[in-house]
Amino acid sequence: MIDVDNVTKRYGPTLAVDAVSFHIGAGEIVGFLGPNGAGKSTLLKMISTWMEPDSGSIRIAGHDTRTAALSVRRALGYLPEHNALYDGMRVERFLEFVGRARGLSGATLRERMAWCIQGCRLEAVVHKRVQQCSKGYRQRIGVAASLIHDPPVIVLDEPTHGLDPIQVVAFRNFIQGLRKNRAILFSSHILSEVVGISERLLIIQHGRLLADVKVEELRRQAAARGEELENVVLEIVRRKAPARDEVSA
Amino acid sequence: MSGTASTGAAGNRVSLGEFCAGVQVVARRELGAYFESAIAYVYTIGFVVLANSMFMQEFFLAGTADMTSYFQRMPLLLAVFLPAVTMRLWAEERKQRTIELLLTLPIVPLQAVCGKFVAALLLYGLFLIGSLPIVVMLAVLGSPDLGLIVSGYVGLIALGALLLALGLFLSALSADQIVAFVSTACCALLLVLLGDQRVVSVLDGLAPKLAGGTLLAESIALTPPYETFVAGSLELSSLVHFGAFTALFLWLCAHALEQRRT
Repeated sequence: MIDVDNVTKRYGPTLAVDAVSFHIGAGEIVGFLGPNGAGKSTLLKMISTWMEPDSGSIRIAGHDTRTAALSVRRALGYLPEHNALYDGMRVERFLEFVGRARGLSGATLRERMAWCIQGCRLEAVVHKRVQQCSKGYRQRIGVAASLIHDPPVIVLDEPTHGLDPIQVVAFRNFIQGLRKNRAILFSSHILSEVVGISERLLIIQHGRLLADVKVEELRRQAAARGEELENVVLEIVRRKAPARDEVSA
Repeated sequence: MSGTASTGAAGNRVSLGEFCAGVQVVARRELGAYFESAIAYVYTIGFVVLANSMFMQEFFLAGTADMTSYFQRMPLLLAVFLPAVTMRLWAEERKQRTIELLLTLPIVPLQAVCGKFVAALLLYGLFLIGSLPIVVMLAVLGSPDLGLIVSGYVGLIALGALLLALGLFLSALSADQIVAFVSTACCALLLVLLGDQRVVSVLDGLAPKLAGGTLLAESIALTPPYETFVAGSLELSSLVHFGAFTALFLWLCAHALEQRRT
């Protein structure tokens, strides 16, 4: 569902993403872990078609992001890094706008809006303006907007940013409920959140994909060494990249 | 729908029906944004009060039942007012970062541009509706030439559409509303003043052999083709002039957004 093949992106002289490749199939929830500035958001922006790779290719649900960007956007539910929303709009209107822009209308639109509002627990703010909502609610509005068209591929950039611990648990359960027949990729720089939601981890630093490992495998290594999971991840980072940054544990 | 519309750097194509649906969705959102804040009300009241009071002042002095003086004053007024309508359209999207949300929806940049353009044009239409009491008043007080009035309004719509398209384009190049406003107002004033005979004479005088003033007035200035409408003549060449420049600025705007993606 998500095929990233040897993708490279530069910002002037800075290499933001360096020959990254991975594949995510249907039914997988994959966490994208790395410190701030590692290249996570740049890669997700390229997956969303907001940016184009300098080289390499990205295919979403079989569609190339360069040659079939509209098909990619139809198949993709995307939560951008800063989750910028139209502050002046009422939450219900905002979801309706996104739904209509995605081609939904009539009963289908109403059903999907109701599903998103219930799933993201937005009932209390549905008639409020976005600017009146707390950070946690804003994040959930962004997630709801990314799911309104029932996409087969979901890409969320820092979806738990701004959520309190209870909301993170609710979010985890919600996302895991979406797993069936969908490919889900989400980024975070917080290890505990990533391992709590996903069963597979992509670790990126300085634009390079350092590891593509199953969370279960990491847990097994940690148990075998009698160490915390964080130490196993840090060991991977230290072994495969210069230890300039450290993954937040 | 059988027709197709162009598309984006990605080379996708959308049907005409899909294109119009996308334009409508964006236009509705933009109109909502105008009316949910005080922008639409403040701008409309400000424009109508200013334009109508300027006309009434001259109307009582001239004592003739026609709107020519109203239409003649409009280019300068629109050159200052319409940039205020368009300044936020893309600059605000960039500043608030909602541009990433908008342009990762399954619409091509030209759909988003046209949607915003339609919304701005409808708001401008509301400005013009505010001048209809003048038409009614003239009809009650005398026998105005209705053909001249209709022609003048066609000119106003054509001129306004061009200035809105110019404002959209310059707004897409800036992340700051003030910069977008000032740059659009300056360009609009330049395009209007280039058609003024005094400016033409000065520019021609700078390089008599080149006759740059006349060349600019005949090619890009807005006043000469606009004045054909004010004079009561619906000339095809004037309509093409405004239509071509409007389409050019809308296309440039979409192109600028597409370039932003890389």
